[in-house]
Amino acid sequence: MDLIKKLHEIVGIDRATTSPMQLYCYSSDSSQIRGTPECVVRPQNTGQVSQVLRFANEHDIPVTARGAGTGLAGGAVALEGGIVLDLSGMDRILDIDINNLQVAVEPGVIHSRLNEVLGTEGFFFPPDPGSSEMCTLGGLIANNGSGMRSVKYGTTRSYVLDLEIVMADGSVINTGSKTLKSSAGYDLTRLMVGSEGTLGIITKAVLKILPLPKARTVVLASFDNPVLAGEAVVKTLSAGVIPSACEILDRATVEVLNAYDPNIAIPDAGATILFELDGTVSSVKEQAKIVEAVCMPFASGIRIAAGGEEMKEIWSARRLVGAAISRIDPNKTRVYVGEDIGVPIKEVPRMLKFIQSISGEFGLPIITYGHIGDGNLHTGMCIDMLDNEQWKQLDLAADKIHRTAIMLGGTVSAEHGIGSARSKYMRLERGNALDVMILIKRALDPRGILNPGKLGL
Amino acid sequence: MLDLDLRSILKCVRCGACRSVCPVLEEVGWESAGARGRILVAHGISQGLDVDADVLESLNTCMTCGMCKQMCPAGANPTYVIENTRRQLVMRGEMTEAQRKLNERIMESGNSLGEVSDRRSWLSEYKGEIKETAGYVYFVGCLGAYRYPESVVATFDVLSRFDVTILPDEICCGSPLIRTGFDVDELIAHNIEQMRKVGAHTFITSCAGCHNTLIQSYPDEFEVMHVSEFLEQHLPELQLRRLKLTVTYHDACHLGRCRGVFDAPRRVIEAVCDLKEMKTNRENARCCGGGGGVRTGYPDLSLALAKKRLEEIPDGVDYLITSCPLCTKNLIEGGSDTDVLDLVELVRLAIE
Repeated sequence: MDLIKKLHEIVGIDRATTSPMQLYCYSSDSSQIRGTPECVVRPQNTGQVSQVLRFANEHDIPVTARGAGTGLAGGAVALEGGIVLDLSGMDRILDIDINNLQVAVEPGVIHSRLNEVLGTEGFFFPPDPGSSEMCTLGGLIANNGSGMRSVKYGTTRSYVLDLEIVMADGSVINTGSKTLKSSAGYDLTRLMVGSEGTLGIITKAVLKILPLPKARTVVLASFDNPVLAGEAVVKTLSAGVIPSACEILDRATVEVLNAYDPNIAIPDAGATILFELDGTVSSVKEQAKIVEAVCMPFASGIRIAAGGEEMKEIWSARRLVGAAISRIDPNKTRVYVGEDIGVPIKEVPRMLKFIQSISGEFGLPIITYGHIGDGNLHTGMCIDMLDNEQWKQLDLAADKIHRTAIMLGGTVSAEHGIGSARSKYMRLERGNALDVMILIKRALDPRGILNPGKLGL
Repeated sequence: MLDLDLRSILKCVRCGACRSVCPVLEEVGWESAGARGRILVAHGISQGLDVDADVLESLNTCMTCGMCKQMCPAGANPTYVIENTRRQLVMRGEMTEAQRKLNERIMESGNSLGEVSDRRSWLSEYKGEIKETAGYVYFVGCLGAYRYPESVVATFDVLSRFDVTILPDEICCGSPLIRTGFDVDELIAHNIEQMRKVGAHTFITSCAGCHNTLIQSYPDEFEVMHVSEFLEQHLPELQLRRLKLTVTYHDACHLGRCRGVFDAPRRVIEAVCDLKEMKTNRENARCCGGGGGVRTGYPDLSLALAKKRLEEIPDGVDYLITSCPLCTKNLIEGGSDTDVLDLVELVRLAIE
């Protein structure tokens, strides 16, 4: 049967297309992975997703789910053609249930919008990705994204209570319930979170929410080099303070931030740590004192942000710094590769040294920033996109960064996902656990239609 | 061979940050309707993507409101990429019917509306004198001259108290054509010659499109001021009385975000009445949906966007004040429940 004709029957003539222009627009995300689908569909409800999957499964047509296409590893790129399901139009907040500490959302809801709405009720959804203004909650869940506040609040996985999933054959299941905990069988919710659309399509999510803290403050600590900064963070955590965010910015990152928003005046230093502390007014003050005392022997300067406005500006700019480093050189562009490693916290200083040495080895400036409090470092490299030699050096540097992280007991992706860009490291990082993942994949998607070519499966 | 300026295209890191601000993407939904999608389309063309009707629609449904350029963390300039791609395609003869007709209309009639009547017929309602030479020229604009004569009369009535005249033979500044990819050298040369004839050193504009174009595309020989800037400088001489009104103000994209004129219109408004801001304002003001050729080429989309802007009018205001006739037209036709009034008409009320 004609694919597009069937898709038009399911979703309507205006919501499925084979236009070459449209297919080109859906052939990439923010990574360097490319793959052109045969058609793009914008479903409006679970029933339509179910019908699309049933048809695709019967005809062995690959289906790749996509939210806002802001992924950094090619997770939403259709490597083997077939259908891209653009779920960004399923964007309703279905229920805000404060009494049960939860919300129900469709997958296309933009992260920041949820927190805007929850903020008026005095609540928030803690995962805090840099792409908050544009990423969808479906994508965040499918990649187990997190962000700056994961050091204290954990990743998205900790907040998903229930998922409505359309399985490969079109059947619809609910993986959890409205209860805040459950011992009923396998934890399918946690299995689906981070599965990147390889096991099913998320069409609804019930998320746990928390009350907003009464107070927040930011301590800015400057250090002569990133290694000293890393040591200060390790000492801070072991002194019993768990910041709500703990970000490292190297010298170049600070330059970028100050250039992007001149209102932010972070002092020039070899490295800066932003400690965000939250809680009650008195507990925040107490934590800030401990952070200052612990950092003092390592730091070249420490100050507390002036107030809410300065904190807001710092975090807004910090969220977009990943792309903003492209501004360093008009002829260069930031390329997202090797950008999301995670290492055990105490290995952070060593990893930072390795990054410096990799930068020298390949002659590529590597900007480093990230969620140092949970061992998640983002490395940023900019190249002249028209220079093939720079592309080669970039790939070699990224490969070495990935292998070094694994060598230190870390991961190639702490929050951005594996997609296709990092799938070749899955065996090295996961060993024979990958075989179990492959078995699970085969059991739930026997015809292999769901996002083929991802996760090293 | 198209000169698509690949380096500008490649400046986009495809982070998708622009998705959060593009009003067209919000309305349409498809990736191709946002800034990132349009840059991808431009990239696709450079890689051999066929230029079909869908490609033209993607490129031509951008209002060039500049919201994406303003916020792009990577420093990409989507507005430039889109306008340059339109231009390159037009040079190769690839354009929509609406583009082709617009170009024909302006080149034949000298105005964006294709009117054949006298551009200066609004003068029949003007009672004052017209100076033969002056330091300043009120550049009336096509839409004002033909669709909002009462507003133009009010504006010239105020301005002519100073060293201001009009061009003897003004024609379209070229804005609609530049936005949609055409060359306007002839139009520019004509208007410059007129300026020289009256010995003026400064254009005064009352249209955001004219304002942006006269600054961006005309030689540096002449200064350009928006009428709000001129009036702000002359507030004491105007002896305005206070009106018992509360109004809100719509920032035109090409005047505000593109040229940074935010304070002057507000100071003029506050000199005569109370101002209550719209939900988004100044740098973050939503587009009325009219610019970039969208009003001409995609009227339904344009009006849908106007309706979204109208939802941002605060409660309890007597007028929605604008400083651009294209915004005025689009917001009225978008179904504004609040009366839409040009800034200078408001000032005129305070003079009488």
